[in-house]
Amino acid sequence: MELKKTHIYSYHAEHGNIVDFGGYAMPVWYDGIKVEHKAVRDGCGVFDTSHMGRMWAEGPDTEKFLNYVVTNNVSKLEPYGGLYSVMCKPDGGIVDDLITYKFTPERFLVVYNAGNRDKDYKWLKKNSKDFDVKLTDVSDEVAMIAVQGPKAVETLQKITEEKLGEVGRFNIAEITVSGYKVLAARTGYTGEDGFEVFVLDCPLDKPEKALKIWGDLVEAGAVPCGLGARDSLRLEAGLWLYGNDMDESVNPIEAGLRWTVKLKKPGYFIGRRAIQKVREEGVKRRLVGLMMEDRGIPRHGYEVLNAEEQVIGEVTSGGLSPTLGVGIALAYVPPEYRKLGTEVYIKIRSRLAKGKVVKHRPFYDEAVYGWKRDKK
Amino acid sequence: MTDEYKIEEGLYYTKEHEWAKKLGDGNVAVGVDDYAQSQLHEIVYVELPEMDAEVAQGEALGAVESVKAVSDMYAPVGGKVVEVNEELLDSPELINDDPYGEGWIAKIEPSGLEADLAKLMDAEKYKAFLATL
Repeated sequence: MELKKTHIYSYHAEHGNIVDFGGYAMPVWYDGIKVEHKAVRDGCGVFDTSHMGRMWAEGPDTEKFLNYVVTNNVSKLEPYGGLYSVMCKPDGGIVDDLITYKFTPERFLVVYNAGNRDKDYKWLKKNSKDFDVKLTDVSDEVAMIAVQGPKAVETLQKITEEKLGEVGRFNIAEITVSGYKVLAARTGYTGEDGFEVFVLDCPLDKPEKALKIWGDLVEAGAVPCGLGARDSLRLEAGLWLYGNDMDESVNPIEAGLRWTVKLKKPGYFIGRRAIQKVREEGVKRRLVGLMMEDRGIPRHGYEVLNAEEQVIGEVTSGGLSPTLGVGIALAYVPPEYRKLGTEVYIKIRSRLAKGKVVKHRPFYDEAVYGWKRDKK
Repeated sequence: MTDEYKIEEGLYYTKEHEWAKKLGDGNVAVGVDDYAQSQLHEIVYVELPEMDAEVAQGEALGAVESVKAVSDMYAPVGGKVVEVNEELLDSPELINDDPYGEGWIAKIEPSGLEADLAKLMDAEKYKAFLATL
């Protein structure tokens, strides 16, 4: 089957190493994962995230509908506010994680994972029957570019007419970039400050606007980054990857996403009863962060063992942290192993390598890296 | 396609992209080749073989890893591991820079060298093999 291409594909084909990522032809790196990773932690990187799903939800019942399908409380949002959430099946299994941006109570932008584009659209459509809401998938008409890093705001500012500093974390604004009207949300998937730019009215067969903005950002000093760095950056930030760290067999309490579930918000939402039950009965497994003390890189699927060498769980995401220089991982283990500092072992090929349970959101020191870092 | 990769004459190659080189002292140096290092790109970690381990040809010997991927390494020849390249612990990128030289991984005291080498490819055959990939 031919791979789907994004608006920025012509740049990737010329400069990047393209792989099949969930059916999309995407760059895994341009110059190398390590250098791109570092560019985002120390300066500014730019990512094509146009493979992600984007949808307008519009109509009188939009807010009510979203509160019915997601676990978080979208009514808390001010206009131009964004909210991270998950949506669940009736049994509490996670359908996807997503961000909803509110413009008015009757108009929201919904952003979700590339690999779940079809599934999410069908799920939302099916569950919208009793609501007066219109859902329009605009993934192919809107390009998406993420500018990330401690210098992301000043880099994007160079090609933006409005003052970006006034846009708060997780807020979205209508701004003018490279002369084009766009939406820009102060969000990202790297742990760093930055924006995700939605290039409106930019169909796949007329990608000029997106390519112009991409080119202007690169010229302004943003380093093009592929999916390899995107993954190593999100892992260091301790952020979940759907399909690895959560899926339909996992509920938000197990996944460590309790903070996105508002059980007391008014009205029923899908999965509420199941999640309430899990809350009362407790979980059998819990997502934790692990950091290696011995040499070795934990990887997706590796077994986690306790000090008695019994298998207690499995790594769901793992790799070398380029910033910290050690192996880090997200893994599911029984809740009695959740305590920070607990000694665990990862089975790496034929040997057991020692590690410990650590705080994972993020793995790095927030005073030194990430959007909360001390600004000098 | 094959010209993209450096293939050194006088070495023996496996289909899994390891190389073996006969040394003057009777031992055999082994490593991964230019194709393997270029596929992995930035190598960030090397799992060295255990000293004194006895391995058969084709048995797991160690692994070479990039940020994203793991590539297992198999013994191109059987024998006993008599030396490992500890430089790689701190500088795994030596394999990217110089896969047939400073990026060597281990030295093996071979147990059945001629029979093992007969199963490997010389530079010319290996070049033809890469052309099929």
